[in-house]
Amino acid sequence: MPISFVLISVIGLGVIAWAMSRARSAHFAPVAGKLKLALPGHYGLYAAIWTIVPALIAVWIWSLISPGLVQGAIVADPAAAQLPAFEFERNTVLNEAFALANNPNAFVSDPIAQQLAPAIAAAQTKFGWIGAVLAIVVALAGFAFGYTRIKAGFPARSKIERIVLGALLLASFVAIITTVGIIASLIFESARFFSMVNPIDFLFGTNWTPDTMASATSDMGDDLGAVPLFWGTFFIGAIIAMLVAIPFGLMSAIYLTQYASPRARSILKPMLEILAGIPTVVYGYFAALTAAPFIRDLALAVGITNASTESALAAGLVMGVMIIPFVSSMADDSIAAVPQAMRDGSLAMGATTSETIKKVLIPAALPGIVAGIMLAISRAIGETMIVYMAAGASANLSANPFERMTTVTYQIAALLTGEGSFDHPTTLSAFALGLVLFIVTLILNIVALRVVKRFREAYE
Amino acid sequence: MSNWQSSEATARLKKRYAAERRFKALGFVAIVLSMLFLAVLLFTMLKNGVTGLDWAFLSGSDSTDPVTAGVWSAVKGSLWTMLVTLSLAFPMGVLAAIYLEEFAPRSRWVDWVEVSINNLAAVPSIIFGLLGLAVFIQFMHLPRSSPLVGGMTLALMTMPVIVISGRNAIKAVPPSIRDAALAVGASKVQTVFHHVLPLALPGILTGTIIGMARALGETAPLLMIGMRAFVSTPPGSVTDPSSVLPMQIFLWSDEVDQGFVQNTSAAIIVLLFVLIAMNGVAIYLRNKFETRW
Repeated sequence: MPISFVLISVIGLGVIAWAMSRARSAHFAPVAGKLKLALPGHYGLYAAIWTIVPALIAVWIWSLISPGLVQGAIVADPAAAQLPAFEFERNTVLNEAFALANNPNAFVSDPIAQQLAPAIAAAQTKFGWIGAVLAIVVALAGFAFGYTRIKAGFPARSKIERIVLGALLLASFVAIITTVGIIASLIFESARFFSMVNPIDFLFGTNWTPDTMASATSDMGDDLGAVPLFWGTFFIGAIIAMLVAIPFGLMSAIYLTQYASPRARSILKPMLEILAGIPTVVYGYFAALTAAPFIRDLALAVGITNASTESALAAGLVMGVMIIPFVSSMADDSIAAVPQAMRDGSLAMGATTSETIKKVLIPAALPGIVAGIMLAISRAIGETMIVYMAAGASANLSANPFERMTTVTYQIAALLTGEGSFDHPTTLSAFALGLVLFIVTLILNIVALRVVKRFREAYE
Repeated sequence: MSNWQSSEATARLKKRYAAERRFKALGFVAIVLSMLFLAVLLFTMLKNGVTGLDWAFLSGSDSTDPVTAGVWSAVKGSLWTMLVTLSLAFPMGVLAAIYLEEFAPRSRWVDWVEVSINNLAAVPSIIFGLLGLAVFIQFMHLPRSSPLVGGMTLALMTMPVIVISGRNAIKAVPPSIRDAALAVGASKVQTVFHHVLPLALPGILTGTIIGMARALGETAPLLMIGMRAFVSTPPGSVTDPSSVLPMQIFLWSDEVDQGFVQNTSAAIIVLLFVLIAMNGVAIYLRNKFETRW
């Protein structure tokens, strides 16, 4: 379809509709006994909306059905009689013919495709112009409808506002549609996976050796046991990273809120926030280039012989640093929510600041801090690039932090960027892993948000 | 002689004060170590990369030879992707924020919208990549590796950030502004679009820039939709195969050739520079237009 021509003419018509309706409404005599219901601009906008929106919807619908019509026209073409009957070959030839019709320089190996290409081009042009005429007719009809409705006393403003409200509602439903889309696509692809592999084997198997080239047989489940991935994810994200992030995040939050002067706080806090703004790929590169070799040398120096360049420790430590500002700001909020009276009471009894913090503030703020840590864990286990670049690919069920270890996110990325076909259970297992990851992070988030909410209410 | 002056009590007080000093020092050390990590990271990148930053690097395209490889093709891919993301996420995010803050009735539907926005903001980015792969590429057959699909995927990720910051900005506009507009005969929609929105715009823009900065540094979802192709010519439109800046860093970091260490670090410097500039603009906007009512 000559799409730019259609768009320009439809929008042009819209502008004309706007100008004409606006000019017309300027001469409306006031209706006796009635308030003026709209400004000239409202009448213009009303006619313009009627001209443009239905025409655009027509263009969109036409762009959905016209490929089918083109296809139908081609099959009716005499040259199509020579098409191979076998569907796969037939689609290959047709794809080549379409490529040639859209781009005269495309490489074509099949002679039938060459014969068909002019017919395709002709059909596309024909249906394109039919669509263009259709769109312009719809635009003119909308224009006529909108223009004739405009008269003195017509409530153009409230009509437009109803449309605006509809648009607002639509925009806010995008969030629901996205959530539903995520859940639906994960469940749909996971269902395909679980129809080939037993869920029990997948969730509780301890051997992960994915092979996208293996023939899809019934014993696939033996190679697709995800427990080592769950362990690696938990070990790196929830143990090593938190061993860094919790003490550092908590102590820096305490220092910033309780000890630092306002001036020092205004400088230190944004600097700490920079850590959260650095892209994860940069952390990943730093972990692989600097942190991992450093940790290996350290391990060799203390006598651990099998240390490798990629290790769970390197990925976990760097990830922990990335999470520090997150834990810090959550702890900051929770401590700030504790009523000042509790703090003053403790200090008035003669406790030192650190005793007040340890015995009063932290116990009082604990629900909020725990919720913050849950959110931090959910962020750490969903993190991809650091583990992709620094933790390695081998699925190890081990508690030795100097070993290579792999995570759920690593395997999702590796399986789907590989060469495997989309119908192979090994490739589809990425979606099952994604579903598990989504459910776990969702539970962590919901529980954490609920705890935070209840905790806030307790002190209000 | 009173009890609190006894040597026993003084010793205990001394111990408590020492514990106090230790605790304070511990907090200070936590911050200093975090800063030190940041400094080491930045220093490593500068040391490795700053010599590789020249005009040829900034204007060149990806290549198998580290000497001639440059970032322009990736930067252009990032620009296209961000353009798609911004043009989708900004209008939708602002409209959704307006609806939820100004018009939404208390109903179950609206509760669902709020719950999903809060959850979407915390969903791991790789899940959005799976969504983009399953819906935009597998189902809608949009071109793989293109800024169009990348931008749409990142837009879904950025929209919740814009909605949340937009709602806070709209909430901060005092009710008296609305009452004044309504009192002189403006409709609800006119009040919002003529008065509330312009006043909330600096706050919304700040949130948008922060969301865009996060999207610009995102790699994992784009990995899913295949934006890891070797692209030696800058993309000419949103449907051409392309790379983005963080993806270029990722691809170069995988190269065996030692020459690419310099390129990777130099590309990181470029990326961090752009991000710092964006955040600087956000902070400037906030300070310049922030109104205390």
